[in-house]
Amino acid sequence: MATKGKVLIIDDDPDFCEFMRTGLESGGFEVLTAASGKQGLSLMRSAKPDLVFLDVVMAHPTEGVDVTATIKEDPELWDIPVVMLTSIMDTEYIGHFPTDRPLAVDQFLTKPVPMAEVLRIANETVGAKS
Amino acid sequence: MIDFHPLKLELVERIDWLIRLRWWAVAGTLVGILVARLVEPALPVLPLIIVTGFIGLYNVVFALYARQLWQRRGTGIRRRRSPQFAATQIVVDLVALTALLHFSGGIENPFAIFLVFHVIIAAILLSRRASVAVALLASVLYAGLVFLELTGWLPHVHLPLLADPARYTVVAYAASKVGATCLTLLLAAAMASSVSERLQQRTQDLLEANRVCEVNRTELAEVNERLRQVDAARTQFIVMVAHELRAPMGAIITALNLVLGGYAPPEKQRDVLERAQVRAYELLDLIRDLLELVRARRLEGPAQATPVAMDQVLDGVLGLMRVEAENKGLTLTTHIAPDLPPVRATPDQLKSIWTNLISNAIKYTPAGGQVTVTVARDGNEVIGSVEDTGIGISREDMPRLFEEFFRTEQAKAMVQRGTGVGLAIVKRTVESYGGRIWVESEAGQGSKFSFALPVADDTSTTQTEDR
Repeated sequence: MATKGKVLIIDDDPDFCEFMRTGLESGGFEVLTAASGKQGLSLMRSAKPDLVFLDVVMAHPTEGVDVTATIKEDPELWDIPVVMLTSIMDTEYIGHFPTDRPLAVDQFLTKPVPMAEVLRIANETVGAKS
Repeated sequence: MIDFHPLKLELVERIDWLIRLRWWAVAGTLVGILVARLVEPALPVLPLIIVTGFIGLYNVVFALYARQLWQRRGTGIRRRRSPQFAATQIVVDLVALTALLHFSGGIENPFAIFLVFHVIIAAILLSRRASVAVALLASVLYAGLVFLELTGWLPHVHLPLLADPARYTVVAYAASKVGATCLTLLLAAAMASSVSERLQQRTQDLLEANRVCEVNRTELAEVNERLRQVDAARTQFIVMVAHELRAPMGAIITALNLVLGGYAPPEKQRDVLERAQVRAYELLDLIRDLLELVRARRLEGPAQATPVAMDQVLDGVLGLMRVEAENKGLTLTTHIAPDLPPVRATPDQLKSIWTNLISNAIKYTPAGGQVTVTVARDGNEVIGSVEDTGIGISREDMPRLFEEFFRTEQAKAMVQRGTGVGLAIVKRTVESYGGRIWVESEAGQGSKFSFALPVADDTSTTQTEDR
């Protein structure tokens, strides 16, 4: 079955990765998952996903932010759209926790994100690309 | 004999004042001599000017010495030498004034009363004893001068314009004038030094009060800072707790949303819900551990502690733990020393310490491994340890091991479910009983957690804090 596109989930919570996989696959996407920023970056390079959902706080509080910094530097990666996810209460926290560095992301969402919203973003982003 | 003044620092400052005052005295004397000369032609100006010049000269010497002392400030020398220095100046001044009096009419000179100033200066700068000594010296000098002039040992200058010279040859008059002057000097010394001492005492009290205030202020600032830190830590803790609670809750909601929204195909629904259930239990564990943690935090350890037999408590825990170890294919060995003294703790808390440590060892040791529980006495402590052949702890993770919510990556990889609060609870509990906890470990080789609790002595049942 031809998929609509490749979506990469970078999150250290295996349940969350699994839930996103289930939802996105039911929406017709091919889903890859990575449990760390490092693994996520290497998958981005090798598999060239059309969209990345990136968790902020993994093993290190700023791991997700570090990933975006690397993406910004790498011409191979900087065109891939990134949606940042966090379970931090609200975006007001972003001022001081986990970072006040500028984030190189296309959208910023707070967990839990309704699957309808995830699918809408995926459809819009991947649809716009292809 | 010079007594040390309680406010030595003030004295040090007053030395300069004394030297400045003397310059004014020199100028005043010169003007006085000229005016007196106009009124009283009999006055011998030259010796008076010479004496005044001498005063100026020694004041220069004093000023130089004062500067030298000033340069050595902070060494204590200045403070030690200042009283003697002041006393020396006053004595030299007395002699100089007596010389001036001698050349300006002796007993006939009404300015003899200026002797009082020296006594008062001594009372202000030095002690009561010193000022009385100065009054006595002034009396001796004055009486001696009058006596020597009266007997003709020293030449006497008459001031015919001011007084009837004949009057001063009357011994009774001279004696009564000398007596009155000396008495005045002594009384002035007594009164001035009494006032001065009282002022010094007040100043001393004020300084002391200020010092106490300063100490209190510093202590309050410290307490305030500690409270601020406690408050900051608490806020940080609440934020962490909120984050920790939100993670499983977020996962559960995502799972429910997936199933209810029809995004999960029927064959996957059960898996999704099962995962949600695990996370819900995790949430429940977390809430239980948080309550436990709060209890450990405010535990009034020694107050609630009673002598507890460590081996009995451990026996109760081991029953359950053996089953767990067997289920996982681990060997659980125990080395419990005989005749262990009781430790001061509460049985429930002690049970929770053992349960936490042993179940951790079982959790993080792969099948086929060993878990060894040891209890032994060491001096005034009973030491319990749990050793395993499990995943171990890396050097970098060691410092954070007892932090709330901290779990090593290896631990997370091996056992997904865990709150990271257990060791924090154990540490707080052990420490609340005056005990210690420590860990020896090497990544991949295994870990050994040990804790020491003080032995309960016979008096400890009276709930006194004796350690």
